[in-house]
Amino acid sequence: MVEGGGRGEGGDKARDEFLSEAQELVDGLGRDLLHLDEGLKKGRLDAELINDVFRAVHTLKGLSGLFGATRMAGLSHELEDVLDDLRLGRIELTSAVLDLLFQAVSLYGRILASESGETPDPVGEVEQLLVALGQFSQRRAGGGAGVVSQYDLDPGLLGVLTEYEEHRLRTNISQGQGLYRIRVRFSLSTIDSALDDLKAKARPHGEIITYLPTGSGADIDTIELEILMASRASVELLRSSITGPDVGIDEVRRRAAPSGIPDTPTPVPPDPPAHESLAPPTKVGGSLSPLARETGSVRMPAQLPPAPRQTPSIAPSPPQQRPGPSGPMAQELSLRSVSQTVRVDIRKLDRLMTVVGELAIVKTAIANLTERVRNRATDARELAIELARLNRTFDRHLAQMQSGILEVRMVPLGQAFDKLARVVRQISREHGKDVNLVVTGAETEIDKLIVEELSDPLMHMIRNAIDHGIEPRDDRLVVGKPPIGTIALNAFQKGNHVVIEVEDDGRGMDPAELLDAAVRRGIVTREEAGELRPHEVLALVFMPGFTTKEVATDLSGRGVGLDVAKTNIGKLGGIVDITSDVGIGTKMTITLPITLAIINVLLVEIGPRLFAVPLASVEEAIALDESQVRTVESREVLTVRGASLPICRLARLFGIPARSRERHRAFVVIAQVGNRRLGFVVDELVGQQDIVIKPLGKSLKNVRGFAGATELGDQRVALVIDVASLVDEVLLPAETRFLASAAEAGRS
Amino acid sequence: MAALIKARGEKRAVRRAGEAGRRVEYLAFVLAGETYAVQIAHVAEILRPPPITEVPRAPATMLGVISVRGKLVTVVDLRRRFHLPEAPIDRKTRILLGDLGKGEQLGLLVDEVQQVWRLAAEEIEAANVLGGEQPAHIAGIGRPADAAGATLILLELRPILEAP
Repeated sequence: MVEGGGRGEGGDKARDEFLSEAQELVDGLGRDLLHLDEGLKKGRLDAELINDVFRAVHTLKGLSGLFGATRMAGLSHELEDVLDDLRLGRIELTSAVLDLLFQAVSLYGRILASESGETPDPVGEVEQLLVALGQFSQRRAGGGAGVVSQYDLDPGLLGVLTEYEEHRLRTNISQGQGLYRIRVRFSLSTIDSALDDLKAKARPHGEIITYLPTGSGADIDTIELEILMASRASVELLRSSITGPDVGIDEVRRRAAPSGIPDTPTPVPPDPPAHESLAPPTKVGGSLSPLARETGSVRMPAQLPPAPRQTPSIAPSPPQQRPGPSGPMAQELSLRSVSQTVRVDIRKLDRLMTVVGELAIVKTAIANLTERVRNRATDARELAIELARLNRTFDRHLAQMQSGILEVRMVPLGQAFDKLARVVRQISREHGKDVNLVVTGAETEIDKLIVEELSDPLMHMIRNAIDHGIEPRDDRLVVGKPPIGTIALNAFQKGNHVVIEVEDDGRGMDPAELLDAAVRRGIVTREEAGELRPHEVLALVFMPGFTTKEVATDLSGRGVGLDVAKTNIGKLGGIVDITSDVGIGTKMTITLPITLAIINVLLVEIGPRLFAVPLASVEEAIALDESQVRTVESREVLTVRGASLPICRLARLFGIPARSRERHRAFVVIAQVGNRRLGFVVDELVGQQDIVIKPLGKSLKNVRGFAGATELGDQRVALVIDVASLVDEVLLPAETRFLASAAEAGRS
Repeated sequence: MAALIKARGEKRAVRRAGEAGRRVEYLAFVLAGETYAVQIAHVAEILRPPPITEVPRAPATMLGVISVRGKLVTVVDLRRRFHLPEAPIDRKTRILLGDLGKGEQLGLLVDEVQQVWRLAAEEIEAANVLGGEQPAHIAGIGRPADAAGATLILLELRPILEAP
């Protein structure tokens, strides 16, 4: 928890903790809302879940108040009111309410981002949402009150129900449960345990709504309770399962319904909030007025209005509006979380601490040895043996330390997937399409940094799948597909990589259509289009500016999205492949290294300099046979085992004087990125090594071709080649042409 | 002239004690025979140059990258940055680790590091004494009173670190 005080000294640290804790709460909130949404679709409402959401918002309110995050506190306060109404059944949970709640979750995210100084404060949106929320809490309706009156319940009992109990009573009746009155006599000395016992027996059959002492028939040592229970079971079943010496169970009978009262609960449309508190006397049984007075809200007897079967809550106007260009969707929304924190199991840290202790021992041993050498108390042979031993120990502990720290950095992919589920819900509602997100492998672990960077690319892919892939309901029915579209998000580990698939069962991509669009947008020429192979055609969707849509919507069709997704995944050392069958669906496969921190590289020499090539993208390395090199359209191509391989002489590309070809035999490192292959000509293969990759400074961000650099031990630094970007650069000059012109267009 | 400077210097020496707090410390270094100085608060460290790894296709002013205790730092050749003739790295060459507290730390390659000067406001002349338009990185001319004749070209690091 955050320590009190907060903003004073140490404020930064406490503030970081606040951000991280708030982020976690908001993430949890999103998850709970999704479950609620699922439940709502199945027509089932989990009261406990609403309570969870309420508590989370309440905690957020307290937390943000403590840290002076007033905008957040204000939003939480208003939300709390709405959630309280939901909890107590004053308003009904509908998709419209959920929309607002989801909107609140995404606003929380943006407020957090602005609290950490990353983005401007979303003042306008918060105000809008507050207004919408305010309307909800004002227009709460007292639906369902009438149903209670159909039962022969003691008005005295009803009068003392808490608002929550009353709500549960109504809900249970509305769900068609029977009501039972259980009279139990308890001995005062054992009442606690006996009552718990009884509750446990009752729980499998239904819900205990309340219990009250009857105040009658009790002697001085015993007390009689009347328990009101809702259950689907028959009175016989209850009598046989809830047993005890002094237990009596009766069914609460339903009154004969007076004419005009439907059997099913009839919700009431919202009432103009003009008159207050005192409910009109009910004609039904005279048993109900205490309820109305207690809640202070307006309740109408069930038979008064013409009883349309609509929800009492509200016509969902605000969330359905397509936001204009200034709305929240128009700005590129990001799912990245603010928090840079990783929660760590203390045992993992303990293990690391132990290793550090071991390393300290090695250090002491080295210090002793140094002392002995200085005093010439040891000869060279002895020294060598001792050093070799220390070196081995050191190596072992270092490896443990490394893997321990890596483990700490690992988080389940589910963290990103949870947020995507929210996106799916939002986008599919905006498009009026029914989409089911099926997630497998959410427990797959990957570096925290990668998870953060993945959310946005995945969002673009899913958005694309919903917008372009999944067909409208009617079209699906025509071709015999299930009316609800499915997007599968599958993750699994494959060696040192994590594979994530985004698969939809939509209409698939038509190569001819893609080619047309690409030509129309000037991404390829008609001639080039004719030469593209099938997988190259599909890869066109990753080109900047590519879109098949003539009219851009708010969400997609702007021709940004997939190219950005691909670039960002490329930055993580990942690759994207795409397969698609017309009429069946599209699958995008992302392959990522498990961690960014340590990668396995092939060290190569170009001229006098060392470079590292990530082995993840190296297929093989072979000696270069210059006699097999031909030049095709000013591009060098090597024949390897009968197939052509375009090659790139890195010395030439990098402007490094190469060694003479006669005296020295060069090598070709064959790299594969997605479906494309390219041979990098280098002077020497030095060997494999695990390296820690470090980013180059901002000053070098415009230099293409390097993913970072690594220290090699002897103070030297080797640059790590960004294979994907070099392959793009060499094989897709068309792309760079396009980028240049796009950049120019952007400037003007 | 020299006498005048000396006289002013003496006057200042009397006042110095009271003013010590207001003086700013500058680190002087040599670049192609001229003496430059930067606020020492903006120099995190002075390094003997380790092997510098050249980054192909980087702008010419950027010599390459070095690793400073596990962190990669881009090294800028100040001679190239100021369009001065080039010179090989020798045993006097140093790298100043320029650091404004935020943004990127950059290594600045200089010929030789000299000493620290503590300059009062009166010992600093505005950059325009050199003529109308001076580059943004020239902050002024330092004339330390207690070293008659010494002239320091005072550098503002921000423009250099922001656009190396």
